[in-house]
Amino acid sequence: MSELASEPSTQREPVLRGVGLTHRYGVTTVLHDAEIAVHPGEVVAVTGPSGSGKSTLLHCLAGILVPSEGEVWLGPDRIDGWSESRRAALRGSRLGFVFQFGQLLPELPAVENVALPLMLGGMRRVEAVERAAAWFAPLGLAGLEQRRPGQLSGGQEQRVAIGRALVTEPEVVFADEPTGAVDTDTGHRVMELLTALVGRTGAGLVVVTHDAEVAARCHRTVSLRDGRTAESARPAGART
Amino acid sequence: MVGLSLRLLRLGGRRSWAAAGLVGAGVAVGTMLLAVALGALHGWDARESRTAWRAGDYYSGPQKVLPADVVASVRVTADRVGGLPLQVVDLVDPRAGLAPPPGLDRTPAPGQVWVSPALATLLRQLPADELADRFPGAPTGVISDAGLRDPGELVAVVGRAGPLAGASPITVFGPVPGFSTIEIYRQLTYVAVALMIFPVLSLLGASARLTAARRTERLATLRLLGASTGQVTVAAVTEVTAVAGVAAVVGVVGQWLLAPALAAVELGGSGWYADDLRPSVPVMIGIVVGVGLLATAAAVGGMRQVVVGPLGVVRRQRPGSARLVRLLVVVAGVVVFAVANTARQNAAANITGLVFGIGILALFGTVSVVGPLVVRLIGNGLVRSARSPAKLLAGRRLLDDPRAAFRPLAGLTLAVFVAGFLAPLTSAVAGAGGADDTALRMRTGDPASVAAAARARLDQLGIGAQVTAGRRSVDVVTGTSVDRDRVRTALSPLVNGTAVLTEQEGNGENTLLAADLTRGAVVVLVATFLVAATSAGTSAAARVLDQRRTLRLLRLAGTPLRVLDAARRAETIRPLLVNGAIALVLGVLCASPFAAASGVLEPSALILLGGVLVTGVLLVLGASAASRPLLRSVTTDTQTSGDS
Amino acid sequence: MNRPPAARAAGLVKTYGRGDAAVHALDGVSLEVPAAAFTAIMGPSGSGKSTLMHLLAGLDTATSGQAFLGDTDLGACGDRELTAIRRDRIGFVFQSFNLLPQLTAAQNIDLPAQLAGRRVDPAWRESLVGLLDLTDRLGHRPTQLSGGQQQRVALARALLGRPEIVFADEPTGNLDSAAGHEVLALLQRSVRELGGTVVVVTHDPVAASYADGVLLLRDGRLAGTLVAPRPDTVLAALAELSGAVAR
Repeated sequence: MSELASEPSTQREPVLRGVGLTHRYGVTTVLHDAEIAVHPGEVVAVTGPSGSGKSTLLHCLAGILVPSEGEVWLGPDRIDGWSESRRAALRGSRLGFVFQFGQLLPELPAVENVALPLMLGGMRRVEAVERAAAWFAPLGLAGLEQRRPGQLSGGQEQRVAIGRALVTEPEVVFADEPTGAVDTDTGHRVMELLTALVGRTGAGLVVVTHDAEVAARCHRTVSLRDGRTAESARPAGART
Repeated sequence: MVGLSLRLLRLGGRRSWAAAGLVGAGVAVGTMLLAVALGALHGWDARESRTAWRAGDYYSGPQKVLPADVVASVRVTADRVGGLPLQVVDLVDPRAGLAPPPGLDRTPAPGQVWVSPALATLLRQLPADELADRFPGAPTGVISDAGLRDPGELVAVVGRAGPLAGASPITVFGPVPGFSTIEIYRQLTYVAVALMIFPVLSLLGASARLTAARRTERLATLRLLGASTGQVTVAAVTEVTAVAGVAAVVGVVGQWLLAPALAAVELGGSGWYADDLRPSVPVMIGIVVGVGLLATAAAVGGMRQVVVGPLGVVRRQRPGSARLVRLLVVVAGVVVFAVANTARQNAAANITGLVFGIGILALFGTVSVVGPLVVRLIGNGLVRSARSPAKLLAGRRLLDDPRAAFRPLAGLTLAVFVAGFLAPLTSAVAGAGGADDTALRMRTGDPASVAAAARARLDQLGIGAQVTAGRRSVDVVTGTSVDRDRVRTALSPLVNGTAVLTEQEGNGENTLLAADLTRGAVVVLVATFLVAATSAGTSAAARVLDQRRTLRLLRLAGTPLRVLDAARRAETIRPLLVNGAIALVLGVLCASPFAAASGVLEPSALILLGGVLVTGVLLVLGASAASRPLLRSVTTDTQTSGDS
Repeated sequence: MNRPPAARAAGLVKTYGRGDAAVHALDGVSLEVPAAAFTAIMGPSGSGKSTLMHLLAGLDTATSGQAFLGDTDLGACGDRELTAIRRDRIGFVFQSFNLLPQLTAAQNIDLPAQLAGRRVDPAWRESLVGLLDLTDRLGHRPTQLSGGQQQRVALARALLGRPEIVFADEPTGNLDSAAGHEVLALLQRSVRELGGTVVVVTHDPVAASYADGVLLLRDGRLAGTLVAPRPDTVLAALAELSGAVAR
């Protein structure tokens, strides 16, 4: 049932690093000196009860929010000081995202949803669609290229979303409760696919989840409580 | 159930209110325009009931007036003073023991003069030889509002003993059925209402369907908990009905408050009493109820696709695409118009407007039916040729649901249709006028002696003038320094009290009609553009609200806002331009019975059309820009899981 | 257990699509759900367990075969009757809670009764709210509640109408294990102490171990049953099923 073939090397430099991340909304501190590092090919779960700051941490790491204090490094670049438009461009090219649901444009066929980030990056449409189509077989979606999101099952939609996150060959993929809107079996399969495909590209993967079973499928878990991080190695009892 | 739905609306928070606000804005504007249209019809009725008797039965058509029914004779003289029209009504031998005419406290005896308040003021201000000397004596009484066209009307009712040349018998001091100036205006108003009603109804319908997506999730939950289809429908519709009901009241009240401003629009020679333009209370209630029902029906129609099974919102079926069959409707529309236009020529005077209105509605329908097809074809073209993501997105959207994509454009397309209809008309009437405005003309059967008398009279007053006798008239040309009203006052007794006017002044009614047509056209255009702006603006905002989750996630994933904006522009402007062109042609076709189609090429028409197109595109851009802050606020909300 | 079954399937078939694209979600399932017991339906993904629940609860209609709730043949009921049956005789608990965010916990609990135009038995309501430990939470909106609390509100809502049977579809799927345990224990108590019938669809062996019996599905057919399941026996049974599927 497992697909994390080998432990990734932690000797290499982390591809993503959050150092001393603190974030406040008004007087409320939602993130308190959080630390996280993700290496290439590594799958890191971020868990914690609701309100523990999981989403805020993800948003800071992905350049969606600028942390009140601390540093965010993507490879050799410190990105927390970048302008919003530069961070947006970064999200479109060097990062990939999978959300819980509702991230696909309902009017576009699946293949064009996947091709969209490439076209936004300036690639010619024919080429972008060709590249996107190449992902459909590994995603287990062969033959569904022209379906609209509305004509796909929840699990299939999530797989299209995975394709869209990976098609630009990002350095880090963020998955925010990727299994939250599908039934548990489907969720497991979505996770399997996500970890397998991300492993193949060598990107880092950050999975925000409340589901202990999902976390159990990751290399490492960073758990948050009241905005503080605590790291655990692979949880006991995880299947290999 | 109703209580529950209202509670959900009330507790729904900011987004719920925003959505309700969009529905409400559209419905309120639509209702207000509906009330304006019905108010205009009411205005003509009110004006007619007060002033129609002055016109005399002589307009009333072929039926003979029986001597036993005659209550008086009237002679109406269209005079002028101080550059303004002055109506002098000679009331000849009114039957004794009769209620006086509207606005007069008693029936004038011979030699008595009733004047309007405005004329009374003028009589005090102007020297007697410029105005007062035209009347047999000082004013006996003042005509009250009940007998006036508008607060500023200049009118005098003069009692006379008969017989009086040019006087015609009347049977009642009130309106009689038949052909009159007001009837012409009323028929034109019907046409204007027909032009406005379609955009207004489409706005009302589209508004009621806004933000339906927002409600579906909640409805699925209710269904699951055992709400019956009826209950779910009620839940779905209550909110719209409540919002539409409140908005309709706002619209009607808005029109009521706006009436004084509308009353300043001069038609038929004057502005209005504000009350004339306010529909009666039953009509207002009818409007509110009607709009509520219409919105409810539209909402039910919009809901039908989404409320199905208890397992949640059934995934959207392929939306009905616009098929080529719609082209047949073009043919049908043109045929109906042609038939209506032929029928119009044979119809009784007081229904020509209605018949023609039906023809216009047919072409309107054509425009609305063909619109989605055009949208689909453009979408096809865009998808095929798109290189940029924005164009591709736009094309896919158009193709995905052409009818929904056309809905926000319908208002503007119809506005262009109206402009196409009115442009040749305004240029045709602009060609009228231009008659002589130098010589004051006295109409008489005895030009030679009248000319001699006129010379003597002017010499006596020391007014230098050139007097020429024609075949049936005498022309008097004075220097520009001479006050025309003095000349008029001096000369009018020579022609038995009839008016002394230049050819252009005498042409007043025709010039007036021409000017009124242009004014009316502008009013209708303003109204349709208001509709267009509202529907474009609210639909753009509603679309952002409905898709906020997807838009937000796209933004988070790094899609620049400007791409989304460019897509919004592309999916609007192209279909608008093509649909606009089609609407323009059909509009011109509609006007063809009245004016040469080449009238469109007249400068005044080109200016009108150019203005319409520029305004239209600006409106769309403006509407799109107006929802940009909303798009920004929705997409920068960083919450990614769950939904509001 | 001499009482007649609470629900029954007889040769149930459900096919989606047609021709080559046809998918047989259920391929002739016959089984009985005992009354006054806690039953779990389990099986690998695609085994048809959710579809079976939907058919037994009148949420969907069978392609062929019969689904009975008590003595009622659901296939013979129209939409209106099915709505009434769901409302009056069945309670639902779902993975995603399905609470209306605009309403307080108390209002959510009362909603089905309100939809049905039923009067709420205040004593029963009070004892339910106490049992589910929601007394202090009644005035809160769902967004102010934890996942476990939300699911308990949904449970109160399902039980308030004293349904013949409660269907729970992955009720712990969105909960952490502590909250999940709480909800399952409460479902168990509602059977033991209140004499209700509960059917839980789950993939989780631990969740299934709270049940009195497990119905195992595979490929749209009944593949086995377990009585008095424990997590290890469930896991073993599932492994056997999966092993039979895997090549």
